[in-house]
Amino acid sequence: MWDDRDRNRWVWAAFAMPGIIWLAVLFIVPFYAVLAIAGGKLNEIFESPIPVWDPLHWTAANFTAVYHDFVGQSAFVGPIFVRTLVYVAIASVLSLLIAYPAAYFVTRFAGRRKVLFLALLIAPFWISYMMRMLAWIDLLQTDGYINRALVDVHLISQPVNWLGGKSITVILGLVYGYIPYLILVLYAGLDRIDQRLIEAGRDLGLNRIRTFVRITLPLSRQTILTGMLITVLPMVGDYFTNQMLSGSEATSMIGNVIDSQLNTASQESQGAALSLLLLVFLLAPMLYYVFQTRKASREAV
Amino acid sequence: MSVATPSAPEVIRPIEADPVDDGPPPGAPPPRPDRRRWQPPWRNPWRRPWILEGFTWLYLIWSLAPIAIAVLFSFNNGKSQSAWQGFSVRWYWGDPVNSIFHNPMLRSAVEQTLRLAVYTTVIAVPIGVAFAIGIHRWHTRTSTSFNFVMVFSYVIPELIFGVAMFFLFTQLFTFVHLGTVAEVLGLVTWNFSWPAIIVLARLVSVGSSYEEAAADLGASRLQAIRRVLIPMLMPAIFASAVLVFASVVDDFVVVDLLSSTANTQPMSVIIYANTHGGNGGPALNALATMMLLFSFVVVIAGLVAYRWMTRGERGSSRHDAMTSIAGM
Amino acid sequence: MTFHPREGWSEDGSRRSHPLSRRTFLAAAAATGLGAGLAACGKSGAASPSSTTTPLAPLALPRPDHPVTWPLYTSNTAIADGLQPERNATLKIYNWVAYINQKDLDAFGKKYKCKVELTTFNTMTEAIAKLRSGQFDFDVFVPTVDVLGQLIGAKIIRPLNHTYIPNISQAWPQYTSPFYDQSWQYTVPYTIYTTGIAWRKDHVDENPYTMANAWAMPWQAKYKGKVAILDDYRESMSLGLLKNGLFDLNTTSTTQLQKATNSLLQLDRLVNLHIDNNDYSNVPSGQIWIHHAWSGDMAAAAGYMPKGTPVDVIGYWFPTDGKGPVGNDTLTVLSGGSNPVLAHLFLNYMLDLPNVLENISYNGYMQPINGVTPQALVADGILPPSLTSTVVLPSYFDNGLRELELAPAVDAQWNQDWLRVSGGV
Repeated sequence: MWDDRDRNRWVWAAFAMPGIIWLAVLFIVPFYAVLAIAGGKLNEIFESPIPVWDPLHWTAANFTAVYHDFVGQSAFVGPIFVRTLVYVAIASVLSLLIAYPAAYFVTRFAGRRKVLFLALLIAPFWISYMMRMLAWIDLLQTDGYINRALVDVHLISQPVNWLGGKSITVILGLVYGYIPYLILVLYAGLDRIDQRLIEAGRDLGLNRIRTFVRITLPLSRQTILTGMLITVLPMVGDYFTNQMLSGSEATSMIGNVIDSQLNTASQESQGAALSLLLLVFLLAPMLYYVFQTRKASREAV
Repeated sequence: MSVATPSAPEVIRPIEADPVDDGPPPGAPPPRPDRRRWQPPWRNPWRRPWILEGFTWLYLIWSLAPIAIAVLFSFNNGKSQSAWQGFSVRWYWGDPVNSIFHNPMLRSAVEQTLRLAVYTTVIAVPIGVAFAIGIHRWHTRTSTSFNFVMVFSYVIPELIFGVAMFFLFTQLFTFVHLGTVAEVLGLVTWNFSWPAIIVLARLVSVGSSYEEAAADLGASRLQAIRRVLIPMLMPAIFASAVLVFASVVDDFVVVDLLSSTANTQPMSVIIYANTHGGNGGPALNALATMMLLFSFVVVIAGLVAYRWMTRGERGSSRHDAMTSIAGM
Repeated sequence: MTFHPREGWSEDGSRRSHPLSRRTFLAAAAATGLGAGLAACGKSGAASPSSTTTPLAPLALPRPDHPVTWPLYTSNTAIADGLQPERNATLKIYNWVAYINQKDLDAFGKKYKCKVELTTFNTMTEAIAKLRSGQFDFDVFVPTVDVLGQLIGAKIIRPLNHTYIPNISQAWPQYTSPFYDQSWQYTVPYTIYTTGIAWRKDHVDENPYTMANAWAMPWQAKYKGKVAILDDYRESMSLGLLKNGLFDLNTTSTTQLQKATNSLLQLDRLVNLHIDNNDYSNVPSGQIWIHHAWSGDMAAAAGYMPKGTPVDVIGYWFPTDGKGPVGNDTLTVLSGGSNPVLAHLFLNYMLDLPNVLENISYNGYMQPINGVTPQALVADGILPPSLTSTVVLPSYFDNGLRELELAPAVDAQWNQDWLRVSGGV
């Protein structure tokens, strides 16, 4: 093939080099700094972390502390971690259920108005996430418009305290924050599905639903997986949504714990350790994504 | 796809008369209406998808209503961000103390945001695109591992990345002082994955057949890349540039940690931590609206540029540019 | 390590969500013998916090009954007398978010013909980390009392030359030699505040002034979803201590801390506890009915009342016997700044009554200057009469409880307990 038997692979290597060097210097090195902090010590005066650069001198003290946060007498992180996974699972399924039909509609049926829909779908990217959340907080107040509307249509009899530490608010907040990315990825993927394949299905007598299930869905499998990976992974580390929409310990996520630790000088090293553990946990999906892309790129030729 | 019709062996058949339908034989009951001619509307596979469309509109309203509210309140006459007190442009230039135009902190924030967004986009997109092209074609362990590193940089929580960068610039690479340079370096690294992932996805679907065709026609590799591959990737490049720009405009964590004095604090930092009482409130909405405007302008400009660049090559479809952009 | 009212603060009446914010002040402070040993930290180019190889003098933790006179170093001296203010200068102030009135800055700039640039920080941790990196030339800094040890030992702040600051005579007398800085060598006072409980009189039946243990007011299940405590490890852990009748807010006793933690965990479950620093907006808006609050925030509540709701539905309680948390901030001159004379003049400027009143009208926090009395504040329209309980009287500092520096291990314990209670929020 064009690339594999290419004698002058230096061309492709040259293309990749600037990025590789950049990542090496400005990502791998700082990442090593995270390891050095997690395996490091604390300055006695300022209680700030002292990175230990030599791997041979790394201590396990911070990891032990994190371990004790999970297991043991003063453990508290376990339920938070489980809760995070539950929230993320529900939020991702919800996101998919909302994003897929919308993306599907825009790719298949929007016709002339595709540009308009696309612009509207991309719009959330252009305004500050914070501003959108602030607007939501305002809408969700006890006497805000949401409650008023719900009471008016008699869906509820009393205003609900949406911002009072409710899981549903946090989950919907997660969906709201990450769904634009999912929609964009789904759009891109669904757009690539050849219309003629669908027509062929129709020609063969499948009705709409069956066409969808037997043609479109399998063809979009890779897209769905990519989209889920791209939205779910960052969601696990999210702390902002809970802080803004709930502010209660009852709904806190693992991201909150890490954030809090990284902002407390004496716990920064533990925060680094916990981040590393989280990243290890996310390793499997990440590797899966990388190998899927690799496979897909080989197959596509 | 053209279905190749297998050629049938030549067979000579006499031409037969088509059967003629003279109607029912006399005496027989009249034919029943052909049920297959009338289908209930919901069986029509080509009907308009009302449900889907309604659903999409509902989603869009849910997604955009807060934006509309935020923009609306930037024109609020009072200090409230929730009680409408009349229309005014005071937060943009009217108010002599607290408007964006008059408040030096807000004004420099706008400038800094633009500066960071432009620098970061201009650096991250070319490097990211080149990286994607290289990784896609160069199959070695190195490239796979750096592909992984790139994905890793997407997934890592931003705060830990920011803290790591802070350590980097204050302890290891101290010749780089905190400030705009550090911010740009951090932002490029953080947003590097956008062009890389998007262009890679597009490359995967495009394949290398077009370049091979170009090579068959006599183009050198670099020519093929320049004249065939890059134009085909333009939508993806454009999309990733938009995303990088928007991401930088909204980024807060990395920038705050790597900022130095007030004039290196962009809008996002100000929005997150601003003055209250007379100085805050709708001025923030005004800032956010400006952010929206910038992104919008950039996208429109990019769109126009794209259409101009591909003016001779576009297909007949009117909305080709926009759709191919998102076609990534 | 004390808390700070501006820790993790965010205006616009929304929930604070500053990723970098919240909490903690540079924990460590435990000024362990900030002696010359810390010379290496801070100013050098490649600031590395690991230069703790020099042996350190014993802990100097200022306490009201153990006042501290900070050492003066030959390598970090005050400026000379009688210098002229710098010309064409930009005075750089490094302060908390929303903690100083822009009008005061503008007026100062006009008076001394200089530009004034305000840079803000969200947490003390962030501020000290940046100051220690040595890359910044801020002139004025606003630290809390508990980090003074570190700052002085690392020579981040410079001793003051009193000849430039005659307005100290306007400050309350105890601030000419506070226990945390005898002979005011390094600091002048900035704001003072108390921490109490704010409540909505129109929604809450109880009146804390008549309760036997008003600190237990938040612990009532009937207000589920409407109760909040401050997002600050010292303040809220102290709430736990006070509720249990323990008044040592610098306690090293793990049993006491355990009691406090358990009470707070119970509060978590009882009322679906909110944790935020938005007392100034959540109570006026009615989102929260009982909020562990700072005096200055509640003093400014009038500006956040929705239309039609009078400000006197808000009450602020502080124990009448004065045994509640009190604190103050300080203004200091940074040794890395390029405009030390202007910096001194700025400190002097912020001790002058008219400027102080202007500042208070903006951020709500009192300052210990003669003439700042409840009557004056009410008369000037700065304070609503129903909230005069937010005023800090000089006598409060006699009985008041202060949250001060802790030894590192103790501080880590406080932080860890708080993490359990808050779940990171």
